[in-house]
Amino acid sequence: MSNNNTAAIEREKRHMGLKASARISNTIIYILLVVISIIWLIPFVCIVLQSFRMESTGRVGYVIPQVWGLGNYRKLFDPSTNFLRWYLNTFIIALVVAVVQTVIVLCMSYTLSRFRFKMRKPLMQFMLILGMFPGMLAMIILYRVLDDLHLTGQYGNAVPGLILVYVASSGMGYYVSKGFFDTIPKTLDEAARVDGANRAQVLYKIILPLAKPIVIYTILTAFMGPWGDFVFARYVSQVIPQAMNVAVGLQSWLATDTMVHDNYTLFCAGGVVVAVPVAILFMCLQRYYVEGVTGGAVKG
Amino acid sequence: MASVKLTNVKKVYDNNVVAVHDFNLDIHDKEFVVFVGPSGCGKSTTLRMIAGLEEISGGTVEIDGEVVNDLQPKDRNIAMVFQNYALYPHMTVYDNIAFSLRLQKMPEDQIYEKVTNAADILGITEYLLRKPRALSGGQRQRVAIGRAMVRHSKVFLMDEPLSNLDAKLRNQMRAEIILLRQKLDTTFIYVTHDQTEAMTLADRIVIMKDGYIMQVGTPEECFDMPSNLFVAEFIGAPKMNIMKTQLLRENGKYFVTPFGSKIEVTGEKGKLLQQKNVPAGEVLLGVRPEHMVLADARDAAAIPATLEVNEMMGSELHLHVFTEDGTRLIVRVPTIGLESGERESLVGGKKMAVTFEGKVMHFFDPETEKNLLL
Repeated sequence: MSNNNTAAIEREKRHMGLKASARISNTIIYILLVVISIIWLIPFVCIVLQSFRMESTGRVGYVIPQVWGLGNYRKLFDPSTNFLRWYLNTFIIALVVAVVQTVIVLCMSYTLSRFRFKMRKPLMQFMLILGMFPGMLAMIILYRVLDDLHLTGQYGNAVPGLILVYVASSGMGYYVSKGFFDTIPKTLDEAARVDGANRAQVLYKIILPLAKPIVIYTILTAFMGPWGDFVFARYVSQVIPQAMNVAVGLQSWLATDTMVHDNYTLFCAGGVVVAVPVAILFMCLQRYYVEGVTGGAVKG
Repeated sequence: MASVKLTNVKKVYDNNVVAVHDFNLDIHDKEFVVFVGPSGCGKSTTLRMIAGLEEISGGTVEIDGEVVNDLQPKDRNIAMVFQNYALYPHMTVYDNIAFSLRLQKMPEDQIYEKVTNAADILGITEYLLRKPRALSGGQRQRVAIGRAMVRHSKVFLMDEPLSNLDAKLRNQMRAEIILLRQKLDTTFIYVTHDQTEAMTLADRIVIMKDGYIMQVGTPEECFDMPSNLFVAEFIGAPKMNIMKTQLLRENGKYFVTPFGSKIEVTGEKGKLLQQKNVPAGEVLLGVRPEHMVLADARDAAAIPATLEVNEMMGSELHLHVFTEDGTRLIVRVPTIGLESGERESLVGGKKMAVTFEGKVMHFFDPETEKNLLL
């Protein structure tokens, strides 16, 4: 009896020990995660706070503004700045690229997933290898081509040229969605084709509704690329004020030390306005985004 | 409601594997034809070529007199039921069945009528608003059949529709397919690897092996007069017993001598041997397990054997025995004919004797494996 009791107590102790150690390790993990998120969030918080600072326009040694106000935002949308133009440029580019690139990527993925043609494997390998070279390598020649086509900033408008740059070679981003399409049984296509659907209808009515996370993921990534791009945008727009996108435009406000002194809070307000729509978009669609990233990776 | 004609149809895959060689077949209007054979025999490939899901490497496929080789599946006016159901997971049962009709741009009220009508026949009305994943296997297959039914297509194709169901449900659905066929009254092409399905459903069976047609015939023809050894062993369960033996001809009578016994060939088979004037010599003798009986060891027709396994099937026993030279034979013994205590005595290792009657034999050429009586 007493033996039994001690054994039970031992067991209980061990159990408690397990519970306690689990709690400790959980606590450590959460503390770590909280610290990491704080570090990660600090720059954003700083920028948001700076954007409301009214007492001065330059860089200062403190974070919390002494005088709060919306003056920077008012100035941002004032016709005297080009911000609205840049914002519109960026929005048009990102929207068009999101639509066109998504269509291209999904068609490409469906083709590579479902059709069997002679050059399929070599084509995929070719694109894989081509994808390993940084896009910057093509920059100079791209500029020459766009210049010949009168599509650079020097001709007043860089939007069509930039759309071309971003949309070109979109087909190479087929990996994730092809991986997802591969997990959808082929007999569904076949059943639909026997039912009277053509290939486009199969893609539109059967495959895409089943691949909703991937479609959203593709749209998001296609939108994000041009939205935040700086290098190509600066190069193609040639820093002509009318032709810039937000990233290039905002940077142009901080080009010299005097400009930093004059424009820093304005720059912060611009940054917030650029970040807000994307942040909202992500918050609404993050469920699909995660599903998309993980769904495409694991082939069932 | 159409005939299907396949002429010299061939399928060669990209890696030069020939899946179907020179397939010729005339399927009549409203006929129920079953393609049967072991896996890899090309039966599904042939069906998929008729459906347009597989490119035709050679020959022509005609539906209702029209060559359809280069037509897309959607333009062939066919309906198909797949082994894994292939229901659209994101649509309700109603939308699944209505899918093809909506593509035809049929008015919604007509679609409603057709879908509810089909659901009524198949007994799935209460599930119409559910998604496929909320259905059991049998219900899913009904939906798949319903989807094919509403189209009123010329030809109804079924690719192993019952293979994913459990044994009991399979028997039930088999009977329902027979009923369905009477209601639809159209041309059916049905693929299966299960000879029971082939026998029970078909007007004509097409037995295939390695891309070749082995025999085309009614279930009775294939069972009673298999054209070769493969068909003989494939049709009927358990499979036919095959014995290598001498065919003797004495005084105008034929005898076989399996394992030291001597049995006269009588009845229809004896007459056919005479008519064909089959020469004496070595043959492959086939006897179905249900035609084998237990015998008295002293009988001249008795084949001595040792019992290896006794499978109790309920109404009958399947006795797996082996003869002196190790040839394995199967004997089907109805339990009702056994004396009391006899059933219990049939245990592994028991010495016994088996035999068969003279009128139930099949003869095959040892070289070509063709039926000698055809």
